[in-house]
Amino acid sequence: MNGRLKSRPEPGSVRKRYAGIAAFVVLAFAIVIGRLFQLQVINGSDYSEIAHENIIRRINLPTTRGIIRDSQGRVLASSRPAYNIYVVPGRVMPSARPARKAGRRALNRDDDSDSWPRIADVLRLSPAERTSFTTKLRDACVIDADTSPCWRTVLVREDAARDTVAEIRQHQADLSGVEIVGAPIRYYPYNNLASHLIGYVSEIDAETLGRFRPAGYDKLVQEQRQAVNPLGYELGDTIGATGIERAWETYLRGQRGWEKRVVDARGKYRTGPEAERQLDLPSRQEPIVGRDLRLTLDIALQQSIEKAMRQFPSGAVVVTEVNSGRVLASYSKPDYDPNDLAGGNGRIQLHEAFAETYSNPMKPMLDKVMSGSFQPGSTFKPFSALAALESGLVPPGNHQTCGQAIKFGDRLFRCTHAHGRVNMHEALAQSCNIYFYRLGETVGVDAIAKVAMDFGFGEKTGLAINPEAAGRVPTKAFYTQQYRGQFHLGLTLNTAIGQGATMVTPLQLALAYGALANGGTLYSPQVVTAVETNGVAVEQFPPRVRRRVTVKSEYLAQIDEALAAVVNDPKGTAYSVRDPSLEIAGKTGTAQTGYTPKAADDANMQVFYARDHAWFAAYSPIKDPEIAVVVLIEHGGSGPTQAAPVVMQIVREYQRLRGARVAAVDSARSPGRPGLLP
Amino acid sequence: MMRSLLSHDRAGAFGSPRYRFARYNFDWPLFLSVALIAVIGVINLYSATSVAKTQLQDVYIQQIYWLFVGGLVAAFVAAIDYRHYERLAYGFYLFGIVLLVLVFVLGRDIRGSSRWVSLGFFSFQPSEFMKLFLVVALAKHYHADPETGPRTLKDLIAPAAIAAVPMMLVLKQPDLGTALILALILISICSLMQIRARSLVTLLVSASVLGPVVWTYVLKDYQRQRVMSFLNPEANILGANWHAHHARVAVGSGGWFGHGFMRGTQNQYLFLPDQQTDFPFPVFAEDWGFFGSVFLVILYGFLVIWSIRVASLARDRFGSALAIGIGALIFWQALFNLGMVLGLLPVVGVTLPLFSYGGSSVLTVLIGIGLLMNVSIRRSGGVPIRASARLGAV
Repeated sequence: MNGRLKSRPEPGSVRKRYAGIAAFVVLAFAIVIGRLFQLQVINGSDYSEIAHENIIRRINLPTTRGIIRDSQGRVLASSRPAYNIYVVPGRVMPSARPARKAGRRALNRDDDSDSWPRIADVLRLSPAERTSFTTKLRDACVIDADTSPCWRTVLVREDAARDTVAEIRQHQADLSGVEIVGAPIRYYPYNNLASHLIGYVSEIDAETLGRFRPAGYDKLVQEQRQAVNPLGYELGDTIGATGIERAWETYLRGQRGWEKRVVDARGKYRTGPEAERQLDLPSRQEPIVGRDLRLTLDIALQQSIEKAMRQFPSGAVVVTEVNSGRVLASYSKPDYDPNDLAGGNGRIQLHEAFAETYSNPMKPMLDKVMSGSFQPGSTFKPFSALAALESGLVPPGNHQTCGQAIKFGDRLFRCTHAHGRVNMHEALAQSCNIYFYRLGETVGVDAIAKVAMDFGFGEKTGLAINPEAAGRVPTKAFYTQQYRGQFHLGLTLNTAIGQGATMVTPLQLALAYGALANGGTLYSPQVVTAVETNGVAVEQFPPRVRRRVTVKSEYLAQIDEALAAVVNDPKGTAYSVRDPSLEIAGKTGTAQTGYTPKAADDANMQVFYARDHAWFAAYSPIKDPEIAVVVLIEHGGSGPTQAAPVVMQIVREYQRLRGARVAAVDSARSPGRPGLLP
Repeated sequence: MMRSLLSHDRAGAFGSPRYRFARYNFDWPLFLSVALIAVIGVINLYSATSVAKTQLQDVYIQQIYWLFVGGLVAAFVAAIDYRHYERLAYGFYLFGIVLLVLVFVLGRDIRGSSRWVSLGFFSFQPSEFMKLFLVVALAKHYHADPETGPRTLKDLIAPAAIAAVPMMLVLKQPDLGTALILALILISICSLMQIRARSLVTLLVSASVLGPVVWTYVLKDYQRQRVMSFLNPEANILGANWHAHHARVAVGSGGWFGHGFMRGTQNQYLFLPDQQTDFPFPVFAEDWGFFGSVFLVILYGFLVIWSIRVASLARDRFGSALAIGIGALIFWQALFNLGMVLGLLPVVGVTLPLFSYGGSSVLTVLIGIGLLMNVSIRRSGGVPIRASARLGAV
């Protein structure tokens, strides 16, 4: 007998314990089953939903922003395809992943070699870029979890060249971890031309985005989201920043669609019947492309204005149709290249462009046509004259003698030179201040204001492409408030010649002259004539009459005669610069700016700022007028010598363009080219 | 001695009386429950690894190999009378300690801890086998202890020391999960003893004092983080709680009936990490739902209860302690793995017996089952005294 294999009986007390141990085991597994019941049965549907959401990703289907075309169909703004290149650090640089991945889960690794060096070659990164990106990618994988930055995309190239994209596409199989994402860039083929009117797009800023996506947005249901954010803005989206791009954003933007895709924990898309089984319906919503816009603008005319204004550093020009209020050209100087500001020329260019626009004292971002307000000077005189005629206090035959200066109270008011004995017609044609001082004294400031307001001054025109200035038409009440009850006659006299507190925008002036030209109809300005899809107009905007002015048409006729005389009478202020081949009526203006030298401006700038604004507001032809043109040359000096020639040039160009167009239509209709038109 | 052992063995293998004895007393419920768990485990492993098409394709085949090898070893272990193991118990124990020390010499570093010994053609985890050696050593100690009345603290020093040495070595690797299982095996075997009330109180008090000390000085940062994330589960889903969160989602999404075999999305779309080792249960729960899960839990419960039954029927203290120890090994591992997966316990790397992929784990559990079978075959009720007499006579 082997003594070592001894066997002892168990003590009785131990036997009782087995029941206790078994009870403990049963209890423990009962708790496990209870927990299973809680997770799978009670909360089962919640977890099913989480599990479903884990593998479904809604990816956006991009839409294309609408195209903006001028009246002749030339493209002013469109989108060009562009591609950004992203990499997933963990996939392009598996070697950067810590040992944890390499060990027990070595079996899970799907790629062992780094594709990053090859990608860097394809992208032709500079040595500095290559080093900085390599460091960035390596650092992303320091923390290793399936959701660490290691598995999130990193942007390595914005707006990649076509060749680069093609090369990556070709070698996609070898270059694991590279993603090409389309990100169309807004493109403005005419660069600076009409940049204020067209505007530009930029990446949506946090504040704007916050309005569309308030706190708690992600928890809202689809319908509620639709209500607060109908256009579906997201971080990184582009949005119209200024001009038509901003004002017509809802039409231009379009609506992005989405598609549900099945994705695994690594962010890899799965396809095939098994994956498609997971998709719930609807699984796709088609994007709606943005609407195209047809403008009233003629970019060729705009181009000629740019040429005519080349010698001046700062100013504004607007051309409107007399019989519709349509804006044919809208020019503000200095301007900017919207391609820079929309990011189409790269990030560095964008920053430089913004720095320039904010430091330039000439305010390149300001649309001077509608957002800038200026003293109109003598271009305002026709409205003072109309007020006088309407009041009946100043008969047309009334004469005043201009001796170059006149004294009211203890102040001396001057004129450009001694005009001698002038009536209203002559006073307008020759721009005599003395006559209008007298006129103002007789008629009073409120009568002038009434007519001016009737012609649309002092209120926004309603174009609203850019934030509009209302301008100002001073009244007695205004002056009383402004000068603490010390209203005096001098203020009225200044108002009569468009100085003092009177402020207008070039657009207001152009529309008012349009009303003078067309016999008293004030139109609402218009820039967009139609909304189009695939070249077919889906919505058209006819011209809108704002109101008929109340002045009698015989008075208007008298003013029109005087305005024609400004250019065509040998004594008229613009006679010396006239072009005999053109029919132009208008009024020159030389507005004092009230500049007081500032220490911040250097000597040259002080001289420049001290100069008067040069105006010329005109319409053409005299008989059956078609267009109204307003030219403002800031600190240009004299209206007749500086601004009037620019108007002549613009009108000449307008006639030439119109002539060419008529000829083109005629030749198309001619029997020599059958089949083009019925 | 060796000669007698071998001759006895030969008699057991080839002698017809012995064969008949084993056949009549074969523990079918034990065998069937283990076989069922193993088969379900392999099927589940197939589903769990189907996602990684090329890399893990053969894992379930390897598991089948391991189950075969383990089954053969278990049969061998079951055939030799367990009382021989009692004599060699401390030898096994020392062997295990040496292997654990070897880890630090030959160890392969995985996830910042070295748990493996590589023998070139294959590597294994000594800490897995150490669980068995500890059970055998503690059983021997209990068996050799003449005491039958209430134990004092002094009486517990020896078993505690036996467990403490491998625990220290395992903690040093560091492998918190295995150390925990070793400690729980000690406590389970001690539960057979009667302990004086005053000693028990002293133990509990000192444990509550030692707790914070262990927390501060013994646990590693990642281990503390896991405990913290367990206490506050939704705090950091993308970080430390990633594993636990997605395991819970997988289990929950199973619902009553599950998605069906190989249809669970959490697994198929790679949201479950370590699906073949630490997290096979979520795959199963996701595929088969509440009914499947409960069936599996009941199988484990049955296995553990059955081992307690084996312990209660054992003919000696060594056999009882052995059965309780093996039962404890399966029970605590299953409980910790399920508890961790279900968010009842913090995430510690403990495998699910026979369900998780791994040679060392499968071998350990199957050898343990062999020991259990051994004790069961030679139980007091079913085994005629003659067998014992024969054994003694050899």
